[in-house]
Parts: sequence; C-alpha cells; structure tokens
Amino acid sequence: MNDDEVITAVREQRDKVHSHTSVDQIISRGRTVRARRWIPGAVTALAVVAAAGTALALGLAGVLGAAPAHSTDTIRTMAFTLVRHPNGTATLTINRNVLLEPGTLQRDLARDGIRAMITVGRFCSSDPAPAGWTKVMSFPGSPADPGPVRSVVINPAAMPAGTELSFGSFQRANGAAQTSVALIDRRSYTCTSTAPTAPPPDGVMIG
Amino acid sequence: MRYVHVGTGQLDFAEFYRESKDACLFAVLVSVGDRDVAQDLVDEAFARAWASWRSVSRHPAPAAWVVRVALNASISRWRKRRREVSLPEPGKVAGLAAGQEAADSPLDPRIMAALTRPPARQRQVVTMRLLLDLDTSRTAEVLGISPSAVKAHLARAIATLRSGLIPERQQE
Repeated sequence: MNDDEVITAVREQRDKVHSHTSVDQIISRGRTVRARRWIPGAVTALAVVAAAGTALALGLAGVLGAAPAHSTDTIRTMAFTLVRHPNGTATLTINRNVLLEPGTLQRDLARDGIRAMITVGRFCSSDPAPAGWTKVMSFPGSPADPGPVRSVVINPAAMPAGTELSFGSFQRANGAAQTSVALIDRRSYTCTSTAPTAPPPDGVMIG
Repeated sequence: MRYVHVGTGQLDFAEFYRESKDACLFAVLVSVGDRDVAQDLVDEAFARAWASWRSVSRHPAPAAWVVRVALNASISRWRKRRREVSLPEPGKVAGLAAGQEAADSPLDPRIMAALTRPPARQRQVVTMRLLLDLDTSRTAEVLGISPSAVKAHLARAIATLRSGLIPERQQE
C-alpha cells in the first residue's frame, strides 16, 4: 500500500460523509449566536441609560462630574478572560491551551475601547514601532510564573491616535497557543507567518 | 517569511459553507467519534463563523477555523459534563465495533480508527492537508510551522496510517 493509496483511502472516507444542514439553517443559528452576544451588551447599555436617567432625575449629574463611567465587567471564553476596570483599563488573560478566535476577541476588546487586530498563524508589527507601548501594556504578577495563563493590563487611553494592538496567535508543536502582542501603526505594518521565538521588542508574548 | 499586508477579499459565506461543510464534518467526526455530536458541533461552528464572517473570511483558512472552533466547543462540553467523550476508542468510531464489516455503514471503521492513531500534531496536519485540502504553505501558515515540518509530519502520519491499515487489508 503506497502513500497515494493511503491518501485515497482517507479521502474516500471523507467523501462519504455529508452534512444535510442547509445554509439557511446555519444562518438562522448564526442570528441566535449574534443575539446571544448582543443581549449582555444591550442589558449593560440599558443599565447605563437607566443609571444616567436616574442621576439626572435626582439632580446628581453635577455632583458625579463629567468623567466617563466605566463599570467593572468580565467576559469569559474558553480562550481568554477580559476584565474591565472602573479606571478604564482592562486585564486580558489568555488561556494558552486554546487557540484564539479572532472575531470574538476583537469585538470584546473593542467594547472596552481597545483597537486591535487579531490574527492566527501570523503576527503583524510596525518598524519603527509607535512610541509608548509600555504605557499601553503592563503586567500583573511575575513573567516567570509557570502557570497555564498569563495576563496583560491594557490602558486604551494611552494608545496614540492611529495605533492599534496586534495580537498574533500561533499553535506550537505541543498544541499550546502562543500569542505575541505589539502596538502598531495602522498605516504601516508588515506581517510574518513565522511564529516569533522571543517577545517582540515593542511588545509582549503570552503563553 | 515576511510579507506586506495587503488584505484579502471576502469570501461569500454560502459558497464557503457549501464547499467546506462536508470536509469539516468529517474532520470533527474523526475527533469526536459520534455523528450527531459532530454535526451539532460543526453547525454551531459554522453559525459562529457566519456571525463573525467579516473577520473569519480573512482567516488564512476559514475551514480550519471552523474545525478548531468545533473542537474547542467539544472540549468545553466535555469539561462541563465531566465524562470522556473527546476521543473515541479505536475501532468504535461512527458506532462500529472493531472488525465489524462496513457493509451496513458508509464508513470503514479501520480507516476511521487509524485516523485517531497519529500524535496530535500529525493529526492536525492530516486534517489540513488530506481532509480540508489545504496546500503545504497554507497549512504551515495556519499551524505556525515551516512547510518542511508540514511535509515531515504528513509523511510520518501516512506511515502510521499505513501501519494501521495494512494488517487488516492483508487478512482480506
């Protein structure tokens, strides 16, 4: 039995399996997925509106001041946990045992005002990198912590105009995910499909 | 390898679904071993792909994204239920016992069992190269390894598959 015969046998098996779910059924289910994502945001928005209305009704707006209101909130997925803090920063903890889902993380970061580009299998960076990344990202705990997850605190208010965070996630030979993070210039960056072996000079590596 | 980001055009979701649904279902079936569970996992993963299609369509291999999301969901279900369902027993894939003739089933249990034997990385390469029909460079990009490593893993995986199939075939 040569290689071609093995490959043919495997592909013959594959070609015997057929999904009978229609694309309309998938899209209908996709709308449910979107609704599930929308509900927590809508509830939060309604709560904020209700709180603002109550504050106005009580004449407390002047007492509270004009600073933007941030509530502590947590999003947990298999791949990451994102905690929003009252001071406007957010702590992102990535589970290195699960590969990132770009759309989910990008949307949830955007909810906290963090502009980000999430890629799997490639990592994008700017050369030269925008100044000030150390003000944008900081680390709670020790980088030498051998635990399964590590965290980064992101301060979106410190991100210069025209920049965003680049998250590049790669799957290593042992199956674990490794994510490089850097601040990039949105108008000028290049990407590599080679997994970085060390933290980028203008960013960090998680996992 | 470095290249300038130029962006990619968006695929049409319906076309993508039509072309990749069967291969994705088979790839997940190989891992979870139950047709109904695999179907539900793949449907949910495609639904999530549709819900995030703007970003998923830019993934180097959207079908690989769907398979990964489905298998992640399988792990999540397993953790919730606290029972072993993630990997089938060799020979019991698709509900067929080892040695049972496949005449009443469209699937050959020997081949299905053989597909579970290679180590994780080799199975990933088999999924990308043989089941999803990705080329070597795209597989390397998705897995974050070199093209030569992809070729090496595939060669070893095929050797493992062959060793699982030849004794059975020789008995026929």
